[in-house]
Amino acid sequence: MVTNVTNFSRSGLYDWMAQRVSAVVLAAYFLFLLGYLLFHPNLSYADWHGLFSHNWMRIFSLLALVALGVHAWVGMWTISTDYLTAMAIGKWATSVRFLFQAVCGIAMFAYFVWGVQILWGI
Amino acid sequence: MLFVLDKSLSSEEGFADVKMYLTSPLAKFVIWGLLSALLYHLVAGVRHLVMDTGVGETLEGGKTGSKIVIAVSVVLIVLAGVWIW
Repeated sequence: MVTNVTNFSRSGLYDWMAQRVSAVVLAAYFLFLLGYLLFHPNLSYADWHGLFSHNWMRIFSLLALVALGVHAWVGMWTISTDYLTAMAIGKWATSVRFLFQAVCGIAMFAYFVWGVQILWGI
Repeated sequence: MLFVLDKSLSSEEGFADVKMYLTSPLAKFVIWGLLSALLYHLVAGVRHLVMDTGVGETLEGGKTGSKIVIAVSVVLIVLAGVWIW
């Protein structure tokens, strides 16, 4: 079984599943928000703030944010291992790829923390 | 996007500011661009999920699948444009 240190998990199959599951969560969240905005044309602050003060919405949003982190990580990892290769860049490929993945990882963690602060810091 | 969410939830004025920003043509264009990319990604993603079940994995199936994805995406993107403007 091929395992790679920098991928998300134990095996490629686990990543494959994680990406599908996170995609479904994100699709559900996106469609919900889109529906909400469509059905509330002239949205007032009270409605908008009210929506996000329900705990189920906060949890759903956080779940979506985690799913986004997972989805983006697996996606970006796949892209980086496809394109940032020795064949493409040559000698420095591994360090460039590692830096790229580190930046992605930090960005995703930062967004997650920021999201928690927004949702629970109201 | 998180910044806009934060601002819109912060207060009545923040919400008003966000609404005011969103009226500018540039903001609308950026949002329409983001939304279009997301809509296409969503449709293509759904196609991948369909293909995971084994449907549309042949060459012909793949071609028709792609055409469907592009057609559906174009429709959704135009609708999004109408909705935003």
